[in-house]
Amino acid sequence: MSRPRSKEVDDAACTHCTRFLFMSSVGAKYFSSYLKNVFWSIASTRLTMNKNSSEIKAQIDNPENWVDEYGDFLYRYALSKLKDPSIAEDLVQETFLAALKARQNFQGRSTAKTWLVAILKHKIVDHIRRKVREPASDKVESLFDATANDFSDARFNGRGGWKHPPAKWAVNPTSLYEQKEFIDILYHCLGELPERQAKVFMMREIDDLGTDEICKALGISATNSWVILYRARMLLRQCLEIKWLGADN
Amino acid sequence: MIHWMFNCKEVSEKVSLSMDASLPIHHRMMITMHLLICKYCNRFRKQLMILTNAIRLEKLPEDDPARSGSLSNATRERIKKALREVSH
Repeated sequence: MSRPRSKEVDDAACTHCTRFLFMSSVGAKYFSSYLKNVFWSIASTRLTMNKNSSEIKAQIDNPENWVDEYGDFLYRYALSKLKDPSIAEDLVQETFLAALKARQNFQGRSTAKTWLVAILKHKIVDHIRRKVREPASDKVESLFDATANDFSDARFNGRGGWKHPPAKWAVNPTSLYEQKEFIDILYHCLGELPERQAKVFMMREIDDLGTDEICKALGISATNSWVILYRARMLLRQCLEIKWLGADN
Repeated sequence: MIHWMFNCKEVSEKVSLSMDASLPIHHRMMITMHLLICKYCNRFRKQLMILTNAIRLEKLPEDDPARSGSLSNATRERIKKALREVSH
């Protein structure tokens, strides 16, 4: 038995129906324009990427142009970290020579400038390390040469709580580059880290390599690299807290 | 032992690990839960972020006297010469 449907119900159904049709046609329209947008943005990124990498290739192909193009920037960068003009000049030269040697490894993932600055940062830290290690300082050794088991014992209690909780840092994360003293101390602390830890940390953070690439380059296991990175971060944090905040913990 | 929450030591390890690898969802949830109640680990996490961002910086501060420095022509030539010698 079919129930007689009132006119109102029919009307309501019809309105729903038209609304649905209308909405879906609008939806489809938006969807297709969305697809179009996505397509074009992908296509244009591809194009710009090709353009960028060919431009970068051209920049990389003539090493002598590097000196004119990036020399001053690198020099200023080194000078701001090391204060000594002659050392800054030497490091810039070393950077260019290292870049020339490693030219094949540069895949245009970043700009040539970023790539060169990354190499320079390694050189700066190496220089600080040489300077720090020259007069064998006991304090540095005791702070950084803790072995496996001591490492967490010195920092956490038996229940896994902080022995010396992290202090509050008065750094504004959005204007880090203005905090010159902080950055200087950070470089100094990197120079004081055990060499292997500093190397892995810099490959990860400065060169932006994945841990798989780092493991391949250094012949270590993934777990090993994570442990090294953890220790490097812990030690750096601690070093900054001691030297920058002067908090004695 | 059934682990329903990380302690500070584990959180510090996992927070560092999360910067290099992707963690399973339950670990991420356990970290979040711990971070909700622990201000020290929160600080620790923020400080690791600051370290990462600071080391990646390329910009020099506005008032740095080094900003105006430039290589002398003699140095420029010296570096170019060194580059030539190596590449040939």
